[in-house]
Amino acid sequence: MHPAGSAAGTPRQRKGPSKRRIPVSHLGMADPHQLFDDTSSAQSQGYGAQRGPSGLGYPTASASPQAAFLADPVSNMAMAYGSSLAAQGKELVDKNIDRFIPVTKLKYYFAVDTLYVGKKLGLLFFPYLHQDWEVQYQQDTPVAPRFDVNAPDLYIPAMAFITYVLVAGLALGTQDRFSPDLLGLQASSALAWLTLEVLAILLSLYLVTVNTDLTTIDLVAFLGYKYVGMIGGILMGLLFGKIGYYLVLGWCCMSIFVFMIRTLRLKILAEAAAEGVPVRGARNQLRMYLTMAVAAAQPLFMYWLTFHLVR
Amino acid sequence: MNETDLAGPILFCVALGATLLLVKDSSIRFKRVSFPMWFLQSALETQNAAGKVQFGYIYGMSAIGCIGIYALLNLMSSSGVSYGCVASVLGYCLLPMVILSGSAVFFSLQGTIGTVLALVIIVWCSLSASKIFISALDMEGQQLLVAYPCALLYGLFALLTVF
Repeated sequence: MHPAGSAAGTPRQRKGPSKRRIPVSHLGMADPHQLFDDTSSAQSQGYGAQRGPSGLGYPTASASPQAAFLADPVSNMAMAYGSSLAAQGKELVDKNIDRFIPVTKLKYYFAVDTLYVGKKLGLLFFPYLHQDWEVQYQQDTPVAPRFDVNAPDLYIPAMAFITYVLVAGLALGTQDRFSPDLLGLQASSALAWLTLEVLAILLSLYLVTVNTDLTTIDLVAFLGYKYVGMIGGILMGLLFGKIGYYLVLGWCCMSIFVFMIRTLRLKILAEAAAEGVPVRGARNQLRMYLTMAVAAAQPLFMYWLTFHLVR
Repeated sequence: MNETDLAGPILFCVALGATLLLVKDSSIRFKRVSFPMWFLQSALETQNAAGKVQFGYIYGMSAIGCIGIYALLNLMSSSGVSYGCVASVLGYCLLPMVILSGSAVFFSLQGTIGTVLALVIIVWCSLSASKIFISALDMEGQQLLVAYPCALLYGLFALLTVF
């Protein structure tokens, strides 16, 4: 083997292992180091390469035991049509789901872990000692809830809502007022109140012309945190009667009030006011009133949605 | 985990239904009847039993629960999961519930020991289901978070068994 041939041969040798991926037209080239043309392997590889790119929907008929059945061209076509139809259907569903429900945005709110949930629940019941309420940013996007306890998430509100509906059913059951329709009624009425609240706050934010980065999903997350306190109140009411219910509900109302004020202050009010310096001005006062109103509405809703469950 | 297998779950659901019918029947009457007559009678009795939650609601709620867990797992995991996989894992982990309803034949579950047993079985079912999910979907630090909705779902089944 003379050096020129070997030098010319090395680039082709590197192409050697990828022979299966080259198209049909280039299969005439054989490895120059071989003493004879290896037509058998080239042909089978060529055959494989030919069928590979074009036959994605086709099964490997020569290898499978159902060769006789699948070698039949009609059933081949039927399988190809069926699988392409299924793929199209799946694509259609995915595209439409993505249009109505922003799945990638929602995934951010579910990137939680057990430690975050524990810390957040502690914060919801006792927010008085927490100092830093600012969400950390990482190159212009907020950090995932997993890494910052101040970031809003949707796992806790969603689980709290479902647990509230089930606990409400349990409470009604102990009063012998349970029927499965009532469960659905509780769920839809709570959902309706939540939607109403979100729309009212969005409307008032629009009227006050606040430039915030508070998205709708963020707002839903914040408004969903009150269900945790409601569950606590109902469970205490079931165990210890009205006294327990009022005590725990009162505590949770105070905590949610402080939590909402401290969280929304950073989102709605201007940066100067958020740092603690009271800025006098009509706009800031209006924003302050809006924050107080939103925070004060939470205990009201908490009482309204639970008092009929505890007798 | 790519192969969804619903044979086991269906078998367990049938077993659960059978033991539940056995429970309801043994608490209602003790006459000696032929087996097909007993089956039909207990099926009709459970349908007519006043104040009891109908099976249709339970099936509907468990289907909604499965869809809910499918949505939650798709949102929480980095790789998606198919509905068949979720249904098959949840169905397989329903097996301890069959033990619970089987034990209901021998003693009533409405006392303290029944409640404790039901809670233990719910925790067992949901921990095993969440363990399978997090190992299949490669989610770290989220086992309790996945176990909680599974516990809610199995709690519904336990309510059906106990009451």
